[in-house]
Amino acid sequence: MIRTAIVSALEIFGIAAIITFFVALLIKGVFHIVRFVGRKAPK
Amino acid sequence: MSLHAVLQLFQGLDTLSHADAGIVAARLGLIVLGMVLFYLGKKGVLEPLLMIPMGLGMVAVNAGVLFLDPATAAAVTERAVAAGQQTPGTLFMAPLVQNTDSLMYILQVDFLQPIYTFAFSNGLIACLVFMGIGALLDMGFVIARPFQSMFLALCAELGTVATFPIAVALGLNFREAASIAIVGGADGPLVLFTSLSLARHLFVPITVVAYLYLGLTYGGYPYLIRFLVPAKLRAIKNPPKGAIEVTSGEKLAFTVVGCAVLCLLFPAAAPLFLSLFVGVAIREAGMKYFLDFVGGPMLYGSTLFLGLLLGVLCEASTILNPKVLVLLVLGIISLLLSGIGGLLGGYVLYLVSGRKFNPVTGIAGVSCVPSTAKVAQKEVSGVAPDALILPEALGANISGVITTAILTGIFVTLVPLIH
Repeated sequence: MIRTAIVSALEIFGIAAIITFFVALLIKGVFHIVRFVGRKAPK
Repeated sequence: MSLHAVLQLFQGLDTLSHADAGIVAARLGLIVLGMVLFYLGKKGVLEPLLMIPMGLGMVAVNAGVLFLDPATAAAVTERAVAAGQQTPGTLFMAPLVQNTDSLMYILQVDFLQPIYTFAFSNGLIACLVFMGIGALLDMGFVIARPFQSMFLALCAELGTVATFPIAVALGLNFREAASIAIVGGADGPLVLFTSLSLARHLFVPITVVAYLYLGLTYGGYPYLIRFLVPAKLRAIKNPPKGAIEVTSGEKLAFTVVGCAVLCLLFPAAAPLFLSLFVGVAIREAGMKYFLDFVGGPMLYGSTLFLGLLLGVLCEASTILNPKVLVLLVLGIISLLLSGIGGLLGGYVLYLVSGRKFNPVTGIAGVSCVPSTAKVAQKEVSGVAPDALILPEALGANISGVITTAILTGIFVTLVPLIH
């Protein structure tokens, strides 16, 4: 049972790390897209 | 007047004289503990917004025990009570009532029962508090440095992840272990939500332990910082970064996309994500009247009743669970490991940045908004008054809320599947 718990904890941390990285990427990506779309065209 | 007549007049004393020695000791101990919490809240050692109503509730519920009339006793215990049979109880609430007929009766008798039944036992109050917290968060600190903030927040979840197998080793099942492990995320509403979802029978002691310890982080983390980070490193000024001005539109765009993606990934925690992002959206969309309501009466009203209900739930017969001692130990381990994890993350960035990043910033990844960010800045200012780490610390702090919500989603979704 303890071995299962350790393996599960590692899996949970792995999933959390991937999702966290993905969210950071999402923040960065959305920020740049909105800034690109919203930029003013040069006169 | 005989002693018997006096005791019948003062039923709080009568129930004490008729109870087992263990219950008497627990009731008196909890009355004293309630007074101590009230005092520490008033002195500012613990969070006064929670501890003052909680301490008072704890005192009142353990003092105000009476012998219930047969109809109320039958509704509370959900079984027939013979006339003349003495059933001790309170008129505050009956948390374990399930039968709908009994519940209808109790809703009219116990004064906190409506709030408990309609807002607490279903996790609504956690969502309301989370919405209020969202209205206080400035996502600009995270958007300006997303990878750094999220990395520190992830490291500060060490306690949440590591406590899970430790709790299993100490005899808890997977659901109970996950519920106490999430204390490492240092976010009260999320602890409430997880324990209600996974270990309903333990949600009272787990939530009480969590809120007690969250108050202690403010007092304990400075010592952890001084122990693990030498003064020379605490004085480092974070590398200057060109100011990135993040507009409300950019914050709102992330709010919508982030909410959609996280709800898609973890529908079990979707109410929490929606609550948090609704708060953020109200703030960034400039809806002044909503913001005043959500960040004011709603947040503080929910916090008041949260504290009061937590105090009232600390009744001797409810809290006398043999697992409470284990939960107390695991709660402190979880928060300690999270603090250490955050500082280790700070050290990693210190090394990666060529020894220019202040490692103390890492402890702000523990998502006790904004306490841990303020603690980090205070410790740095203590050795270098002109060093400012607050923007980076707030970024990690707000990211901590998101990572804890993500871990809550993972726990609530995955743990029931583990065999």
